[in-house]
Amino acid sequence: MSNQHSKTQIDKIDRRTLLKVGGAGAILCATPFAYRWGRPRAKVFVSRGQHYDGPLAQTIRDGLLAGGAEPAWYRGKRVLLKPNLVEPTKAIPHMTTNPAMIVAAAEVFRGWGASVKVGEAPGHVRDTEMALIESGVSEALADSGIGFADLNYEEVVWRRNRGKRSKLRGFWLPQSVAEADVVVSMPKMKTHHWVGITCSMKNFYGVLPGIKYGWPKNVLHHNGIPQTVADVNATLPRTLAIVDGITCMEGDGPILGTAKQMGLVLVGASLASVDATAARIMGLDPMQVEYLRLAVRRMGPLDDSLIEQRGEVWQELATPFEILDQPHLQKLRLEKVGPQVT
Amino acid sequence: MKSILEQLEPCTPGGYSPGGPRATEPTAWAAMALSRAGRNDSAGRAGEWLAALQSRDGSVGVGPDAAQPQWPTSLAILAWRRIDPTRFSAQIERAVAWTLASKGKPAPRNPKIGHDTTLIGWSWAADTHSWLEPTSFAAMSLRAAGYQDHPRSTEAVRMLVDRLLPTGGCNYGNTEILGQTLVPHLQPSGIVLWALAGEDANDERIGRSLEYLEGQLAKPTGCASLAYAIIALTAWQRRPANANGLIAEAVGRPDTKDSTYKLALLALAADEEFHE
Repeated sequence: MSNQHSKTQIDKIDRRTLLKVGGAGAILCATPFAYRWGRPRAKVFVSRGQHYDGPLAQTIRDGLLAGGAEPAWYRGKRVLLKPNLVEPTKAIPHMTTNPAMIVAAAEVFRGWGASVKVGEAPGHVRDTEMALIESGVSEALADSGIGFADLNYEEVVWRRNRGKRSKLRGFWLPQSVAEADVVVSMPKMKTHHWVGITCSMKNFYGVLPGIKYGWPKNVLHHNGIPQTVADVNATLPRTLAIVDGITCMEGDGPILGTAKQMGLVLVGASLASVDATAARIMGLDPMQVEYLRLAVRRMGPLDDSLIEQRGEVWQELATPFEILDQPHLQKLRLEKVGPQVT
Repeated sequence: MKSILEQLEPCTPGGYSPGGPRATEPTAWAAMALSRAGRNDSAGRAGEWLAALQSRDGSVGVGPDAAQPQWPTSLAILAWRRIDPTRFSAQIERAVAWTLASKGKPAPRNPKIGHDTTLIGWSWAADTHSWLEPTSFAAMSLRAAGYQDHPRSTEAVRMLVDRLLPTGGCNYGNTEILGQTLVPHLQPSGIVLWALAGEDANDERIGRSLEYLEGQLAKPTGCASLAYAIIALTAWQRRPANANGLIAEAVGRPDTKDSTYKLALLALAADEEFHE
């Protein structure tokens, strides 16, 4: 299953060259090595051929293990799964995270001894009960005995802004978020009509309570969407990403776009790297996505040479997603998409 | 109705969910429901609880130890007016003054955004744009306090009508983004239509919105959305024949028990005379 990328061999050659060649030659050869040695690397797992009625728990487990997860660590830990239920409606099922993904993820973490809860603060609808009914999540959680936390209305705690890309001094986090040992972003892979792509990082807008930030969360918008996406992610406790890329959304995302079947699941602990990989698969340049450029170092690299692909390589999966004919979106297009890209 | 009140009274003041933190909005709705049912002692206690939250500037925040944001101020006005406008006259006066001074942030017209961004209503949080629910609540509170003809009230009505979707109903407050019309949702539609009942607003989208509400009631939905829709239709004298059955089913759901918010809204929806 593991598919070693050829870039790994390039790194080994650089090290050998460094040892053999001295002086100025060593400095010249060391430069690319030093660049990669000094910068963080990340692992992103991508699986293809996935279906909502397939063995998703196995896929997610494989992805977490491929990324270095240690099951024993999760024993006794509190895991909060955060799907995207921004504005659910039965008429647009590809807008929100499929319940099958949530149940499968819960199965994995419960199997490792963690206590699991699902939490969400829908950004466009105040009636969370309605959101759970329309998305099908209510029924899925009830059938699986998984608890739900309405993050829009919990007790909140103040956390200092650790990203500092915006002027916000801090964020009000719901108790379930602040107390979680791991918060797992479970987004739907979609285009976004303002920022280009919405995936694991943008999904974390939905951990912030509407009772403090509004519906929509205008306080964040007024302080810069890319800046506050970066800041929210930097401020959260330990995070993971498990992306629903099976039925995605293209066109006028994140609400009114059309469905695009991709059959993918992405998993990773470096959310910026996960989103960068998702962007490339969608035919978008992550370097042009402002909230990714602003992501703090510990969210992972965007540079493809620093992202270790586990499972599938993105080049073989990439297919251009439709985006609106707007200049701020068209500039995100990757010039080349597909297996020929190296 | 009596069974809803029996559950509501012991959990007032209360919050949005069972065991959740006490909050202004659920308590304000509960105070109104209890007062209308003649349970004046418990309604009065809720009114005093709200009064204790009022800040010096007249606003009422979202809950204890949460003076910000201040959008529930209008709900406190509605509650105090209902309980005893004389007993709470000082609180009402200060809250109304704050409401009249508080404004959502306008913006220049933008071809990418369908609604009139220059109209000023009320926002969820300070220094942000005007949105439908806080504006609806503010409009209703000013009307209850005798300010229906105030320029802020008349502009609020214009704003609410402006944000109605072409085929009826409302989204959270946008209408069209980058050329695409948004989808309506039951809760904001119900709240806006409730606010417009009794106003001098003449727009064919109002009729379409009422039809939207009636059509949606056949589908499963949340307690709050259901309650607001029934309240709005009752205010427009189009109360559904099966309203009480729908309310009874909602009251019987496991998560409704001990939720002050849901019980209060369902109690108001069950009150066939309620439309203030």
